[in-house]
Amino acid sequence: MSNIVAVKQLTKTLGNIKVIDNISFNIKDGEFLAIQGPSGSGKTTLLGLLAGLEKADEGNIVVVDKDLTSMTEDELAIFRRYNIGFVFQSFNLIPTLDVIENIALPLFPEHISRKDMFERAGKVAKAVGLMERLDHYPNELSGGEQQRVAIARSLINDPKVVFADEPTGNLDSKTGQVVIELLRKLNSERRQTVVLVTHDDKIANASDRIIKLLDGRIANEN
Amino acid sequence: MFRYAIKELLKRSKLYLLNVITIGLVTLMVITLNSLASAYREAARLPFQDIQGNIIIQRNGNVPENISGVLLSCSLAPIPQELVSKIKGIDGVKDSSAALTLWVFDPDNFKRVSGVNFQDSFGRELAAKITDGSVPAGDDQILVEKTYAQKNSVELGKEITISGHHFKVAGIVRATGNEIMASDVYVNLQTAQEMAYQSQNLQKVETFNDTDVNIIFVNVGQTALEAVTRNIEGIVSNTTNNTGKTPLGQTIGSYNIYTPTSFENQISSLFHLSDRLTWFISLILFIGAAIIVARNALRTILERRREFGILKTVGFQNTDIQHEMSLEIFIQVLAGFLLGLAASVIAIVVLSRTTVSIAIPWELTAYPHFLLANPNEANVTQTHLLPIKLEPLQVFASFIIIVAVGLATSFFSIWRINKLRPMEVMRHE
Repeated sequence: MSNIVAVKQLTKTLGNIKVIDNISFNIKDGEFLAIQGPSGSGKTTLLGLLAGLEKADEGNIVVVDKDLTSMTEDELAIFRRYNIGFVFQSFNLIPTLDVIENIALPLFPEHISRKDMFERAGKVAKAVGLMERLDHYPNELSGGEQQRVAIARSLINDPKVVFADEPTGNLDSKTGQVVIELLRKLNSERRQTVVLVTHDDKIANASDRIIKLLDGRIANEN
Repeated sequence: MFRYAIKELLKRSKLYLLNVITIGLVTLMVITLNSLASAYREAARLPFQDIQGNIIIQRNGNVPENISGVLLSCSLAPIPQELVSKIKGIDGVKDSSAALTLWVFDPDNFKRVSGVNFQDSFGRELAAKITDGSVPAGDDQILVEKTYAQKNSVELGKEITISGHHFKVAGIVRATGNEIMASDVYVNLQTAQEMAYQSQNLQKVETFNDTDVNIIFVNVGQTALEAVTRNIEGIVSNTTNNTGKTPLGQTIGSYNIYTPTSFENQISSLFHLSDRLTWFISLILFIGAAIIVARNALRTILERRREFGILKTVGFQNTDIQHEMSLEIFIQVLAGFLLGLAASVIAIVVLSRTTVSIAIPWELTAYPHFLLANPNEANVTQTHLLPIKLEPLQVFASFIIIVAVGLATSFFSIWRINKLRPMEVMRHE
């Protein structure tokens, strides 16, 4: 398998603290990778850097053959729209939009008809089991359902990589397990690379590989 | 994006409603204020509509010692024909006419008599008000004002005597008592000049030549009005030989020049606003609106910080978010403007039913107050419906400025949003 993410001598400083300290690693296409580490170890910052949400101070990040460190903010936005899906711990849905609109959100800036937009969103909603909830608003959904909406939104453009930051952090263990199984299923059926940050050993152990961070450095990789 | 904007506006409806109401109020105030200012300027021209001119010139004279026979309307002085010709020759003067207003104290009654050239613009305007009969065909024919005719049983074709001269009534004219130069009888100008010239009582107080007049009407294009007025002021200042005061406190020999501006000054001090002042107040209101809308936009951005971070994370470029924000602001601006416009239409309809009173200077329609039981009746006031209307140009200008306020707010919002980094959303979770 080829590398879909290649990180080389990556460094990021926030204030006076080196949050990511000269790390290098690769992620293979179709891999299900877990990033673990204690609080403040740099997990979320690393995920932000890999998704092009944060600018690196030093080093290179190549995702889907594109060097993110040389791209402008607008180029990164377009790149994220088509190549990267992002799932947050606290779902981050838009409260004024219903489920189908939240799923279709990344398509809003595109000049496509409302019908086509919702047709595509409907297909993804079906894949994550939300067909009965399309006209509901986020505050009418359970935590697990909200996270499934967030996952569906991350998949609307069929991205190469899905980054998930503590996707089960706000869910009970049973619902969390359902979400992880969903991500696993998407990974195996759609061959999408999934990179997730988690505290949970059980979830990490279900992944193909674990990268453990400590003080911004890779402490362990297996 | 439009649906997204509408949903967002409905979600924070209270805050956005404040913007809409602010814009609406500013629109209402600006349009109404400007319309009122225009209406009062327009109202100041209304007294002039009866005379086919927009500048009136008179000269202050002496009070006669003996109130009998033919006199100049007190206390007007004769104006030489030479000055009439000079004024006619001023650049920008479209037309001019001159008349002679007299008081005639006959033994049995009193008449206000005006000598008019029935062929000039004032004469033609008067002829248009004839209700019965026709324009006098000769020097021995006259027009009689309808109310005077009714009071004194004067009929068409009847003969009446004025200061020993016999005249036949050629027409009845309807000229309301509060018009400028309202008279009981209108005779040919030359006949009036002859009567004045031969009056010993008149000649005792003023030197009257048989071609003199005592009122001049000048018709000037609106744009040239100021320049022509200045020019006339220059001419008459060279011809005056001022001595003493009239009973009204005016300098004898000096000239009075009446224009719409001089009427405007006395209509209303509250709404006597110059164009500059009106637009200055409008500008202040627009700036106030911009500050309120920008402050609310800032509050919205702070509340929606996380939302904008999410949008950037899922692939919205700054321009996409800018379009979204601009759309939301434009909807508010448009709603506010339409609300303000609707309120302005209502306000203007209500104001158009109010009246404006314009006091006509006594000399312009002079009546000997000592003949009246109540001397105050000699004061003449014209009451008109306020000529207020919605000016399309003002509406358009207000809309453009309101849109500019919206754009300024958009730029401010965009500047704040561009600075937002999506990773901040994640860190503050």
